Amino acid sequence: MRLLIEAIGHWLIDAVAKVGYGARLFGLTFRHSGMAFSRFRLTIAQINFIGNYSLVIIVVSGLFVGFVLGLQGYNTLQRYGSEQALGLLVALSLVRELGPVVTALLFAGRAGTSITAEIGLMKAGEQLSAMEMMAVSPIARVLAPRFWAGVISMPLLAALFSAVGVFGGYIVGVQMIGVDDGAFWSQMQNGVDWKEDVGNGVIKSIVFGIAVTFIAVFEGYDSQPTPEGVSRATTRTVVSSSLAVLFLDFILTALMFSRE
Amino acid sequence: MSTPPSQTPADAPFVAIQGVSFAYPTLTGALGRQILTGVDLEVRRGQLVALMGGSGSGKTTILRALGGQIKPQAGTVMVDGQNVHALKHDQLFALRRRMGMLFQFGALFTDMSVFDNVAFPLREHTDLPESAIRDLVLMKLNAVGLRGAHALMPSEVSGGMARRVALARAIALDPQLIMYDEPFAGLDPISLGQIANLIRTLGEALGAASIVVTHDVEESLSIVDYVYFLAEGKIVAKGTPDEIRASELPYVKQFVSGAPDGPVRFHYPAPDYATDLGLGARQ
Amino acid sequence: MNRKLTDLWVGLFVVAGFGAILILALKAGNLASFNFSETYQVLAKFDNIGGLKVRAPVKSAGVVVGRVASVGFDDQTYEAVVTLALDRRYAFPKDSSAKILTSGLLGEQYIGLEPGGDTAKLADGGKIKATQSAIVLETLISQFLFSKAAEGKSDSKAPDSGITAPPGFTAPPVIGAPGGADASAGKTNDKSGTKGETKDKK
Repeated sequence: MRLLIEAIGHWLIDAVAKVGYGARLFGLTFRHSGMAFSRFRLTIAQINFIGNYSLVIIVVSGLFVGFVLGLQGYNTLQRYGSEQALGLLVALSLVRELGPVVTALLFAGRAGTSITAEIGLMKAGEQLSAMEMMAVSPIARVLAPRFWAGVISMPLLAALFSAVGVFGGYIVGVQMIGVDDGAFWSQMQNGVDWKEDVGNGVIKSIVFGIAVTFIAVFEGYDSQPTPEGVSRATTRTVVSSSLAVLFLDFILTALMFSRE
Repeated sequence: MSTPPSQTPADAPFVAIQGVSFAYPTLTGALGRQILTGVDLEVRRGQLVALMGGSGSGKTTILRALGGQIKPQAGTVMVDGQNVHALKHDQLFALRRRMGMLFQFGALFTDMSVFDNVAFPLREHTDLPESAIRDLVLMKLNAVGLRGAHALMPSEVSGGMARRVALARAIALDPQLIMYDEPFAGLDPISLGQIANLIRTLGEALGAASIVVTHDVEESLSIVDYVYFLAEGKIVAKGTPDEIRASELPYVKQFVSGAPDGPVRFHYPAPDYATDLGLGARQ
Repeated sequence: MNRKLTDLWVGLFVVAGFGAILILALKAGNLASFNFSETYQVLAKFDNIGGLKVRAPVKSAGVVVGRVASVGFDDQTYEAVVTLALDRRYAFPKDSSAKILTSGLLGEQYIGLEPGGDTAKLADGGKIKATQSAIVLETLISQFLFSKAAEGKSDSKAPDSGITAPPGFTAPPVIGAPGGADASAGKTNDKSGTKGETKDKK
């Protein structure tokens, strides 16, 4: 019994210490971000690696989510004679929730893990140490460009997801099922507000981008420099970022979308 | 590209470590296993010194203390008259630019070519135009014999070649102190000879103070000027290579001759053999 | 990948991303419509605004001419005060009337603006005097049932079996509706009528 409590206590202390270390690293990343912008080439290379290489999975997923929304949405709406609202349903679901959240989850899996693995392996190969000894801050040169690349890429990816999803919903709803073309778009345009819905969706994806990319960068930097250590770090990245995204989504949705 | 003139008078040691003791602090502030105890060491300019000892004796830790990556609980680490751990962040970084370090297995940046690896310190710390950098990089690569390999990626070169590229990178800024962490580990005889030769000649050419951390007896004793022997975090012997070879100290003798058993025991501490096999009870 | 090519791909990605945001805002959202016009504010008071929400459309002749800017409450007259933001391009006479209408049978509520005949126009900060409140479904049903009861009372020859709702109309149980059939004719009607009446007054 006493051992159990000790073990829990140790785990708790380690967890809290890790959070503190994470917060400190977050501050350091911001402080050392100068190089990420003054030598924008570094960040651009990372945007290519993080953003461009995620395009395929994001766009294809968006398309299929749009298809499914079209099908399921029609299925449910036609029971109440409201098929005309399909466009509105698809667009709002994507722009408000599915776009930012699903993109963030996919991003965590695809880009987050590769960032963590890369930084972890650099640490294992003493590359970060070598950089430090050459008087170059690894936080400025390695962590910050990746962090900002993620923050920039996420909203763009989420928007692409939503746009492609709306198109997917259109294909299924209008072309395949036969919902009225005009009603599809006009109901959507009447019901989706560019500030409240699209704007809030963009804000959400920026927040998710910050959370997911930072967790990825942090877990890589903090990993044990062994193969098992890196593998555990990538697992933690996916789990922590996914949970963080869902939790933040709840908080943000409550703040943004609960009126009256 | 000129390095700032040394602040140490010619006869004083460039590197002076005095009474350094170190243990890694744990989360709660207590200290873990003692790694170094009361270490005294000095290296002069142009001198090539070897730090020898068994695995885990604290050799690499001394290098990290020199570079300011760890802070000892007691003692001072002076490099070129400056106390490394009293320096502010910018001053420490300025000092590091005058040091070159060759990491174990090279630690090349795997996402860049050989050329970019050697150019890295030049691009980061100087404002030289690309044409000047290109010339310098090719010169450094030529010094280690790899000028023709400049376009290859680290994954495409052999271990020995990677080590030499890392060496070229370490001397890119013409450092005044060069540190080698196990430069001979895992190399074939030819590469071993190449690296040993380079360590000797480059150090002399640059007039730098060089420290080689190793447990390769043959290769290092043939090139160095002075040897420090570490065992369990303490300096147990020091002298010229000849003195070390002739030393009667049991630890040094076991190490130099490579005897399997001596002060460093062959058997890891274990209970009685017979009892462990369950034979004791029967008797 | 050399630098120029990387820059190109990244540039394309960023442009595509921003393009997607713009498309969403313009085609899926309502950025293109209305928001950039100048508006002037007009007040209207209602007894009951029903389900009218902020940003609900203000329509005249079926065309959107403004939006509901805010909804407030006057605790002197106990009326709802609705602020309408009307497009500056359209001027309405001072005696225009505002009605709260529902789009479709169970749809969103909006304000219908009907122009009056006055030559003087509503200005910024003006008030619409003629208003008609929203129709609350429950009140409508009970009014209907009450009027049906009154009808049945005056027509004594009719073999009435009590007050019933019109065929096919399923109304939720409402105050004043006796519900079941009452077997005896004539006199019973009287009682039912009275019952209905009394309960209505509640």
